[in-house]
Amino acid sequence: MGDIKNKKLLIVDDEYEIRNMVDGFLRKEGFGRIYQASSCTEALQVFHTVKPDLAILDIMLPDGDGFSLLSSLRQTSNIPILFLTARGEDEDRLLGLGLGADDYIIKPFLPRELVLRLSAIMRRVYSPPKQEQRPIFQLGNYNIDFESGIVQNDKNEYHLTAKEHALLFKLYENRNRIVTSDALCQAAWGDDYYGYENTLMVHIRRIREKIEANPSKPEYLLTIRGLGYKLMVKEEE
Amino acid sequence: MMEGTLRILKRFIGSTMMISAFLLAFNFIFLGIWIFNGMNKGNSPGAVVQNVAEGLHRSSDTYSLDAISAKLLKEDHAWAMLINDSGKVAWNYMLPEEIPKTYSLTDVAKFTQSYLMDYPVFVWEHDEGLVVIGFPKESFAKYPHILPTSWVSSLPLRVVALLIINIGLALLLSLLIGYRLIRSIRPLTQGIQALGEDRETFIEPKGILADLAKNVNSAAALLRKKNVSLKERDEARSNWIAGISHDIRTPLSMVLGYASDLEENSDIPKEQRRKASIIRKQAEYLRSLVSDLNLVSMLEYEMQPLNKKQIRLSVLARQIASEFLNNGLDERFIIEVKFPDERVQVNGDERLLKRAIINLVQNSINHNPDGCVILLQTAFDESSRTCSFIVEDNGNGIPQNEIPNLLELPFSSKRKRSSHNGHGLGLPMVARIAKAHFGCLILSSDVGKGLKAELVLPSVNPN
Repeated sequence: MGDIKNKKLLIVDDEYEIRNMVDGFLRKEGFGRIYQASSCTEALQVFHTVKPDLAILDIMLPDGDGFSLLSSLRQTSNIPILFLTARGEDEDRLLGLGLGADDYIIKPFLPRELVLRLSAIMRRVYSPPKQEQRPIFQLGNYNIDFESGIVQNDKNEYHLTAKEHALLFKLYENRNRIVTSDALCQAAWGDDYYGYENTLMVHIRRIREKIEANPSKPEYLLTIRGLGYKLMVKEEE
Repeated sequence: MMEGTLRILKRFIGSTMMISAFLLAFNFIFLGIWIFNGMNKGNSPGAVVQNVAEGLHRSSDTYSLDAISAKLLKEDHAWAMLINDSGKVAWNYMLPEEIPKTYSLTDVAKFTQSYLMDYPVFVWEHDEGLVVIGFPKESFAKYPHILPTSWVSSLPLRVVALLIINIGLALLLSLLIGYRLIRSIRPLTQGIQALGEDRETFIEPKGILADLAKNVNSAAALLRKKNVSLKERDEARSNWIAGISHDIRTPLSMVLGYASDLEENSDIPKEQRRKASIIRKQAEYLRSLVSDLNLVSMLEYEMQPLNKKQIRLSVLARQIASEFLNNGLDERFIIEVKFPDERVQVNGDERLLKRAIINLVQNSINHNPDGCVILLQTAFDESSRTCSFIVEDNGNGIPQNEIPNLLELPFSSKRKRSSHNGHGLGLPMVARIAKAHFGCLILSSDVGKGLKAELVLPSVNPN
């Protein structure tokens, strides 16, 4: 993770105060190499000399707009680009994302949100591939390995079927949060999932048989009546 | 449209028939009192001749005419004679020179039927022979009426038949004229109807109603012009609001950013951090206000583009309920869901519909600080092909007479009182989102009876 903080960031915004504020937040989070530009021309100049690893662009700039700046940056580089703009309309957001921006944040924003989204993008783009490995986690006495699809406790070892794996993984990704039955069906059966609700119940029961000590009184995989399911996982500190 | 045309045609035929009947009656009366009036101008020849015959008396060898008959003859400039049994003129009065003095049976038969030397003559029998009265030439026309009995007896039938034919003809003619009239009116009625429905219209000005067509066209052009300027003004207003909300966002970014930064800064005293937290919360409130304001203005002026797709309402409901629960809904509130039909679908903008429903749920939460049960349910109405998303709470409710107020924009002329809770944009926004989807928002409530908000939307066939 350390090398992410060493990446070069470019902030393009015509408002000096905003640039400074974002700069400050990022420095506080440990990013040390931050460059600023106040116009398209300046941004292109900095871009060619510094070669930043990520750029944060405003849309309304004195000598052009962020969309065309994004297009010209994209001609020579594939670095992640975020929009940070006061243009809040759906159309602008869709246009920005459609042009290949990695995220679109609307002002006013919480600094925390900006940092989190930026870090997520940085991790995805620049982290070593070992991060891609699927997790192994502990559920009470059970050890669940998503890589091999095996559930183990001190006595038994179960194999998860493909659907069970997909469902449990979806629940794990959203652990301690309700996942609607629609989202679960979609994860297991794709977009044409309508009509699989009963099948979902069958699969949930089979998963419980593998991960719960008493499947009829589940401790971890809870039913939220009318909505969906929730996987309770105690996060280890 | 068709119905209207039919009604006009009916009216037209009716009035045409009335006019025909009236004309017929009028003609009959007129014929009686005016035409026949001239027929009996002066004294009728029959009466004169009868009078003369009765007023002519023989005393020994001479004849004498009484004064009244003589006066009648004089008035009519008529002459008279008495032809005795041997064919001789036995007596005369003002007999013209050229009239013969003797007559054979053939002569008598001839002039009785027609004229005597171009004089219209009339006869009457007398004890001594035949009285003949001659009127001035060309004063009367004599027509012998010789009619077969069968003709006379069938006359009433013929009159009735004639009447019926007349009625039929009148009906046919009125239909024909009415049809032609309707045909010439049709483009006009279509044009006016199009005006009423706010559609573009132009009528070819031709025929008898060309002027009317021109007037309709100019009215249409005027309406179009007004619509365009109205739309321009709406656009300007909406762009103005969009511009302002854009300009507010940048300074607000700094307020929100730094306040949030101070709030999380462990180097400052707790009290100062609490104040920063208040600034941060208010900035977030301003943020939601600005974005609501912008959306409402876009919806109000029909400038909000909709990214429509098919959405199952139950999926949306589960998603929203889960989000509320996942984001730590206070324990005082309970969210329940009820979906009688999973297949209920609408064609809509998911983000907007979600925003509308979240708004309704948040509304129930905000107005019931003591907690309440919030029920999300869907419904489908087979007859109107609509479906509903219902958000219902068992909380405080509001007085019935305040409900219409809630859907009007704050500070609009229709809203009687400003809102006392929140910025008052929430429910008007939901109503406008519903309207943009060709639906509506129905609120029902009363004090202590909770609030029920029903989002009625056109449904699409569940497939």
